[in-house]
Amino acid sequence: MNSFIKNIKKEFLIASRSGLEVLMPIIYLFIIMVFFNISISYVEKDIIVELIPLMIWISCLLICVLNLETIFKDDYDDGTLEMFIINDRYIERDIMAKVISHWILSNLPMVVIAPALSLVLGLDTKTAYVLLITLLIGTPTMSLIGSIAAALTLSLKKNKILMSIIVLPMYIPILIFGTSAVNNSYFKINFESEILMMMIIFLIFLLVSPIACSKALKISLD
Amino acid sequence: MNNPLIELRGINLSRNERLIISNMTFCIHASSVLNIYGHNGSGKTTLLKILTGLTEPTSGQIINNINQHNAFSYMGHKYGIKNNLTLIENLLYGNNENFDDQNKIDGVIEMYNMNKYKNDLVKNLSHGQQKKISLMKANISTSKVWILDEPYSALDNDAIKIVDQSIYDHIKNDGAVIMSNHEPITKKPFDIKNLELINE
Repeated sequence: MNSFIKNIKKEFLIASRSGLEVLMPIIYLFIIMVFFNISISYVEKDIIVELIPLMIWISCLLICVLNLETIFKDDYDDGTLEMFIINDRYIERDIMAKVISHWILSNLPMVVIAPALSLVLGLDTKTAYVLLITLLIGTPTMSLIGSIAAALTLSLKKNKILMSIIVLPMYIPILIFGTSAVNNSYFKINFESEILMMMIIFLIFLLVSPIACSKALKISLD
Repeated sequence: MNNPLIELRGINLSRNERLIISNMTFCIHASSVLNIYGHNGSGKTTLLKILTGLTEPTSGQIINNINQHNAFSYMGHKYGIKNNLTLIENLLYGNNENFDDQNKIDGVIEMYNMNKYKNDLVKNLSHGQQKKISLMKANISTSKVWILDEPYSALDNDAIKIVDQSIYDHIKNDGAVIMSNHEPITKKPFDIKNLELINE
């Protein structure tokens, strides 16, 4: 069995036995959206609809930051990371397997639910579709960037704040392009260039992250 | 004598201006067992981590003459097994090699008398049984050198005999074992070289 597929299968098997953890990001997204709607219920409906995609994007970004720690933490705590680093000829490939399975398990359910939620809240179909595309490109990019920070801060006990400080500035371009694309779609303006920029950022981090991650993990384990 | 599998030359390691390992030089050949012993904090685990490449020494040279990518099988203080996987799943998914030889897995489970527990989740097993699984991972790997941090702790006498047998089989097949313990080790079914670590 190819070790890439093997690692993904392993992560899915572990997740399937971890109870309702997979549902947490969706529950969190629902809670934020409910709070958001309650807090601006006095505002005109047209303005609320304009704000919904932005609010969904910010919620998804914060949920991504919250679950970044889990990429390598369990493996570090139980010692499997040490074994994974020693001898691994294809460490970058196996890091990619970890990041991909983390994205599928932690972020993909939220990415699928978010546009559906926006439709329920009154957004038009085309803008919800653009929202889905931007989240499909943006959230894996955030996972790739976050994996570097997660690897760097792995050995620190209180690493969540430091990790947020490292990743949030790097998420700003993704947030700007993602929300711009959705806004442009809402106002029927061209949004392809924003999507293209997001894809470029995604491809850059797809190449950089596995290499940076493997170095960061070695530093953390030293 | 053949070239050593691994050679350490003048290894030094400092942390926070404290010298942990000073001028360590030794080599390990095929079909040999080396026991590194010393008090708590003498640097045994650190030295083992240097050997695996997990820790970078401050100075000195490590010469690795093993021409295969999975040269080492390492069992540290953390066992490297997943609580939410069964014993069999841990053996199947718990290594970097493209390994799914069911016969070999069944053989090692039999050898360690763990047949009863093979479909149990690891979180439901005892500390000693978890340690056995970690040792079983070394058994099914194709690594030349086993690096075992305190392999006998938390094991009963029967399990210790099984570990000794597996070490014996491994060195018979031109493998080598480097282990750490608190005491020198004698009276084993194989020759063992003891090396004391003294941290002043």
